[in-house]
Amino acid sequence: MTGLREKVEGGQPVRPRIRFTLPLGAAGEWLRRAGVSGQILSLIIVIAIFAIGTRGRFLSLANLQVILSLAAIPTIIAVGVHQVVVLGGIDLSVEGVVALCVVFVGLLMQNKVNANNVGLWIVPITLGIGGVAGFVSGICNTRLRIPSFIATLGMSWILWGLAVYVSRGQTVAILDERFQGVVTGTVAGVPVIALVALALVVLLQFIQDRTRFGRYLYAIGGDEVLARQAGVNITRIKIAVFTLAGLFYGLAALFLSARLGSSQAITGNNLLFPAVTAVAVGGVALTGGIGGAKNAALGALIVTALNDGLILLNVSPYAQEAVNGFVLVAAVALTIDRRKLGFIK
Amino acid sequence: MMNENREPVIDLRGITKSYPGVVALDAVDFEVYQNEIIGLIGENGAGKSTLMKILIGLVQPDAGTFNVRGRTVNVTDPADAVRHGIGMVFQDGSLVPNLSIMENLFLCHEIGFRKFGFLSRRAMRQTARVLLEQVKVSIDQDTPIAEVSPAVRQMVEIARLLWLSRLYGQSNPVLILDEPTTVLTEGERETMFEILQSIKKEASLILISHRLQEVVENSDRIVILKDGRNVTEMPALGARITDIEQHMVGHAFTADRYLEDDQIVPDGEERVLEVQALAKRGAFEPISFFVRKGEIVSLVGLVGSGKEELCRCINGLAKADAGSVILGGRKLATGSPRDAVASGEGHIPIDRRSEGLALGMSVAENVNLLVLDRLKSGFLVNPAREKRNATQWIEECRIKTPSAGTLCANLSGGNQQKTVIAKWLSSRVKLLVLDHPTRGVDVGAKDDIYRLIRRLARQGIGMLVMCDTLEEDLGLSNRMLVMKDGRLVGELSCPPKRKPSPKDVIGLIV
Repeated sequence: MTGLREKVEGGQPVRPRIRFTLPLGAAGEWLRRAGVSGQILSLIIVIAIFAIGTRGRFLSLANLQVILSLAAIPTIIAVGVHQVVVLGGIDLSVEGVVALCVVFVGLLMQNKVNANNVGLWIVPITLGIGGVAGFVSGICNTRLRIPSFIATLGMSWILWGLAVYVSRGQTVAILDERFQGVVTGTVAGVPVIALVALALVVLLQFIQDRTRFGRYLYAIGGDEVLARQAGVNITRIKIAVFTLAGLFYGLAALFLSARLGSSQAITGNNLLFPAVTAVAVGGVALTGGIGGAKNAALGALIVTALNDGLILLNVSPYAQEAVNGFVLVAAVALTIDRRKLGFIK
Repeated sequence: MMNENREPVIDLRGITKSYPGVVALDAVDFEVYQNEIIGLIGENGAGKSTLMKILIGLVQPDAGTFNVRGRTVNVTDPADAVRHGIGMVFQDGSLVPNLSIMENLFLCHEIGFRKFGFLSRRAMRQTARVLLEQVKVSIDQDTPIAEVSPAVRQMVEIARLLWLSRLYGQSNPVLILDEPTTVLTEGERETMFEILQSIKKEASLILISHRLQEVVENSDRIVILKDGRNVTEMPALGARITDIEQHMVGHAFTADRYLEDDQIVPDGEERVLEVQALAKRGAFEPISFFVRKGEIVSLVGLVGSGKEELCRCINGLAKADAGSVILGGRKLATGSPRDAVASGEGHIPIDRRSEGLALGMSVAENVNLLVLDRLKSGFLVNPAREKRNATQWIEECRIKTPSAGTLCANLSGGNQQKTVIAKWLSSRVKLLVLDHPTRGVDVGAKDDIYRLIRRLARQGIGMLVMCDTLEEDLGLSNRMLVMKDGRLVGELSCPPKRKPSPKDVIGLIV
């Protein structure tokens, strides 16, 4: 029976090209299987370089708290985006969805502009707005058969326009400070917001590993035609994934407004690029089917740590943006074996 | 015979299926009994795959009855077929590459493994272990399908189908294996047949294979189709391969279908193509041959003989490891389709819809695609000259199109193919590689294509062809090269009116 034991390499178009093996024995093997060993190694390298470059300042408790706190919101957004990427699509609607949610947070919570005060009801309301936006994107993608790239890009601009219209472009100061605690507080030295993000990542990773939804998500990402033949309800899974992404953006919007203490449409700006970078750096294959919530989270952590380190080193903000762009392209170059892709579109 | 008194598991009666211009199946009867292995044999285009697609619901028959275990059924799709205990192991596989062996085994049927709303890995592992033992797969079940050999993939698919049939309460499932051995090594092949023999105790198998030897050795009953009709069936025990070949090929061909009168004798020794010790690891061993001016050379061999890969290397679509391709006296750069085209090599691909034509462009645009340089005045393409060139070739190639501006997507298969040929004709090629030029083309258009091929030869274009049937290969070519297992094993001269018979050739191929 020797004939059936061999493995062959390269049967599939897209596999991580470089596999790092950490010197950790069984734990290293587990990490490799989980598909995060390269990301852990990258994180260690980033930390080591900045620890040396800043003479240890990078590793101070205060700075580590800053990193964790800053990484939380990009993590929540990246985790929303990555499932669409796993399906083989892309979600560009982040900025519009967040803008609209933020505007409603400002106008519905106790504020300085009107008499509204919905209190904690703001949580279901924001998540609802995000979820509905994602649901509509999902309908456009599946029922109307519009490529996710276009459907979500259009959605982003529609919602952005709506956000500016509803808020009339003004900044609304939020008086209700209950959410501030979540954003600024710490438990045993760990920022609460980081713990919230971690809990979401663990929950979603568990769902991806241990439910039929997760299994079908990866089946569609691997080969949509075969998944359909096997009986997967493609439409339902896709709509669920877009809706879930919207829920994550809604939550991110709530935390963003709480952190700023005010609400304005432009809060949504500049969120997409870090999220996509985090997804790519985390090792989620942009061709679909590979990488989970843990990858997106690690990617967000690496990108945040990198930016934090550059700030500590007093690197010019413009140079930092260039570094981010470089990291995005380099991450894709390292994680995908592009030689086996027929076309690059 | 031993099956005479038993009820068939599957009983197909008078199954007919026609496509525009082609009758794929003409009142075919087919039955499957319990615990048997059926060898289904026929040439390409004999209707085997259409019949199998009807069994698994990918194709709906125009007429005929489909009985499963004594009840008439209407199988709508492969998932429905599985509910009736019928499944097919496809040549290119139907497992999702990024999922693990275990995940693929149970894909879409995980519901029985739920515990407290979540999937129990332990329960899945236990079931998977039992299923994989049955097909003797011993590698880690968490390995992604992309990383396992084709042999293992086939076994996983078989295990999945057996399990699904049991899940749906169907005893004696029917499994269809389409050319299962082409992707296997010698050792794996033996192993596979051992496994199939053990599976036979609880299932029936339909084995489609071009390797007649293995069909005779491993099946119980052999069913032969030709041109969409039942030819005969026989017990495999004691069946002679020569008899089977006779039935497969059938009658000798009659009229001058392939315009042999027009076949020219290549004058002189001018070689348009010279292939010198070309080799590609894993595909074919060093091969040397040549094509003369105006000569039609056909390349025959089974799937896996290496002929497809050889042509891809000549076209520059694949990279050869060693040797050289010389076109019109000039050595081509390896693996460069652009250099091949620039040197005067044309390629008519098997899948014209995806590789040969820009379907969203008009007939005229496709015909002119390669010669835009010649249609320029100054820097710009001259619309008047463009139109003239297109109209000329549309007439000469008898492309039936409402106008030169009609989109290629709206033409019939035959006229699309003629457009591809017109494109190369107008670009003055020296050598044309024709990959199954008449596949999916109706009878009348076939004749037009044969006429065009003869014309190309008269113009001095050398041609390398791979056809759908041996008769076509023999009829069209001046010379035939036979490939087997990556080697050139024979060369036959095919002068008009004194062509070798298909029977002579098939012995060399198989």
